Parts: sequence; structure tokens; C-alpha cells
Amino acid sequence: MTSTLGPDDLGDRERGAVEELLFRLADDEFVAAERYTEWQIYAPSLESDLALANIAQDELGHARLWYDLLQEFGYAEPDLVWERDPAEWTHSTLVELPFEEGDWADVIVRSYLYDTAEHLRLEALVGTSYAPIADRVGKAIAEENYHREHAQSWLERLAGDPGSESHERVQAALDRLFPHALTLFEPGPREDDVVDLGFRTETLDDLRTEWFEIAIPYLESLDLDVPDPEETALPEPVGRDGTHTDAWFELYEEFTHTYEDLGRPEPIRLRGEGA
Amino acid sequence: MSADDEVGFEPAPDSEACAYTDYARGDAPEEYPKTGEGATGAEREIWDALYEVEDPEMPVSVVDLGLIYGVRVEDAAAAGADGKRAVVEMTLTYTGCPAREMLLNDVRCAAMTAGDVDDADVRLRYSPPWNVNMVTERGRERLRDFGLSV
Repeated sequence: MTSTLGPDDLGDRERGAVEELLFRLADDEFVAAERYTEWQIYAPSLESDLALANIAQDELGHARLWYDLLQEFGYAEPDLVWERDPAEWTHSTLVELPFEEGDWADVIVRSYLYDTAEHLRLEALVGTSYAPIADRVGKAIAEENYHREHAQSWLERLAGDPGSESHERVQAALDRLFPHALTLFEPGPREDDVVDLGFRTETLDDLRTEWFEIAIPYLESLDLDVPDPEETALPEPVGRDGTHTDAWFELYEEFTHTYEDLGRPEPIRLRGEGA
Repeated sequence: MSADDEVGFEPAPDSEACAYTDYARGDAPEEYPKTGEGATGAEREIWDALYEVEDPEMPVSVVDLGLIYGVRVEDAAAAGADGKRAVVEMTLTYTGCPAREMLLNDVRCAAMTAGDVDDADVRLRYSPPWNVNMVTERGRERLRDFGLSV
């Protein structure tokens, strides 16, 4: 499909669909990064600490790619992040869950499930009809490959010895996170428009099927029991519709604390106008 | 013993360790890097000013790094203003670049130093994605002097 549409070419229907698509992308990345940074200085080794910090930085960069495009519709940064009602965020519940204390298996399983889905989703945006997304998606895809390699390299070490404590912890994390990962593919109200208008070239159902085809055999190859998707109920809050676990609202309070309480509504400018 | 300790001191011959610091990957797309060659008038002045804007982490200009994708000066009337407006298109080496705001601001200020220019817009583009082969020969020399292997 030819990318011809820019922000000024969209009618209400098109704009609504692009916004829904961008908010889901940006919110997922922002909240995932917010959780990853909790591991700073606590990861099991210096290398793993740096690697996860780097992944978090990438995800924040990607969140900004997509929030930037929302700003082209007239939103300012506070509308998108610092002053946005937390009940309007549409990230998957997978990325908002707190980690079980000290549970490195959780972050590794979470990252594997998330980044595998993320890769499929970005690939389905390469042929988007919305030119600003097409311009940016290749850069994000190139930066994401490392995330999956990192997760798989750790998974293979942690789960390599069935019966060991680390294998059991990976299994427990998988059991806990898998239902939440399914919410990645829950549609929003404008999902049909997103696909019909060519903003994403695959349906969420197709992306979920591909995700199953990659993730399930891989996890089973590590002697892990993957919950049967047919028999796995979605969690009560699914995230995509603005319903979230209590942990999200606490996290939101935490990361907006400085903005709210310290009277720093604008970033400090180091030089140039307004400095 | 952590899993990390199991990696021997000598990497195996087929080791892919440090694959991510191999800056030699990628090709420079046709027409890149843009260096301002052949630019005249206010656009020439802007390119010259951009050669003075350095990356905050390395002593090399944003032009020699290959970050500038285009410079043009147009009548600002289209945007409902008077005078001339510069539009600079540029990229970042990676999306999470912490120096983003500083670079955008420095580039905008540089563009506004040109004689005829009253206002400037800096627009980020990510296609083609930047890679190290978009660094100019002079940029490479500077980076080598700085101690990087490029």
C-alpha cells in the first residue's frame, strides 16, 4: 500500500483510528519501560542491569516516536502523559503488573511474551497507509531485535534445567503472565477501522495466531507447560479499554509524583530560548 | 556461580559477543549523507552553521555524523507569518537519544543565524534509518581521533 496520508489528510474516522493505534503502541512501550527501570541496580549482574536499562531506554524512545505523532494532532506532552486520566490509558495489563519481589524470571518471561508480540505488530505496520508511521517503524523494528535475543538467551539459561528452582520460577511467571499477555490482542472500539483503512495490514486475531505459532513451540521446547489459550480466561481488567489492575493506578501516582508535587510542569531548558 | 560466570574468558571463535558494538554494519543509502554540497544563499549559510553544531558526546558535527537529511528556506507566508522560514530535516542515531531536545534546539538556533531567516522548524525523520556508514569521511577521521574504531 502506498503511504500517502499525513495528519492533515485525515477525516474524523481516520483520525480516530490512527489515534487508537498510536495510543496503544505508545502506552505499551512507556509503561513497559517504567516497570523495567525498577530493576536498576537490582538486576542479578552488572551486565544484565545494563542490558535491561538499555531496553527500557529503547522502549521510552519508541513511546516517544508514537507520542510525537499524537502531538501532530494537537496534543501537548502533559495531555498525553503527565495529566492524562490513568483510566484512559490503553496499554495491556501485561506491562503494568508489578514484579514479584526479586523475581528475575518474571521480567524475562514478560519481555519474551511482549517483545515477540511487539515485533509482529510492528511488522504489520511496515505497509501502513499512514506515512508518518511508515517513516518511523523501520527504525523501531531494527532496535527491537536485541530485546528478543536478550529474553531468549536468559530464558534458555533459566529454564535449561527442568526441576531446578529457576525452571520452576519461569513456569510460575509464565502461568501468571500468560492470561495478561492475551490482552495484547484485545481490540479497541476502532479496530475494524484500523484494518479497513490500511493503518495496520493485519488483524489482531491474525497477529495472535502468529504469536501462538512462535511462542508456544518455543516455550515448550524449554520443557515449559504453556497454558491452553482456549481454556485461559482473560483477566478481569484487560487494559485496552482503560480498565486496569490497581497496580497501574499506583504506578501512575508514582511516576507523576514529581510533576504534581514539585511544581515542575515543564522540563528545565539548558540552553536556547526560554533558558 | 551465576550463568554469566560460565562464559569463558576467551570467546569462542564463532562467538557473537559484542555483536551490538559492531558499528560497521549497514550501507549508506543513495544520496546520503547530505552535506550541503552545492547549496547557495541562506541555505549555504545554514549548512555552514550546522557544521558548527557538535554531537554532545563526540567532537563531530551533526552534518559529518550524517544526521541532517535536508535544509530548505521558504517564504513563511504559507504558515501565516512574514519573512523566511528555514526547515531542517534531521534524524537521530537512535530513538532513545537522551540529547534529543538539546540537539533539536541547537540545530534550530543554528538555522536561525542565517541572514534572511526569521524562523526555523526542525523536523525529525527516521527514514532512511541512520547507520554508521552515513558518517562522512571527515566525520570518520574525527571519530578515529576521538578513539572510536570506525
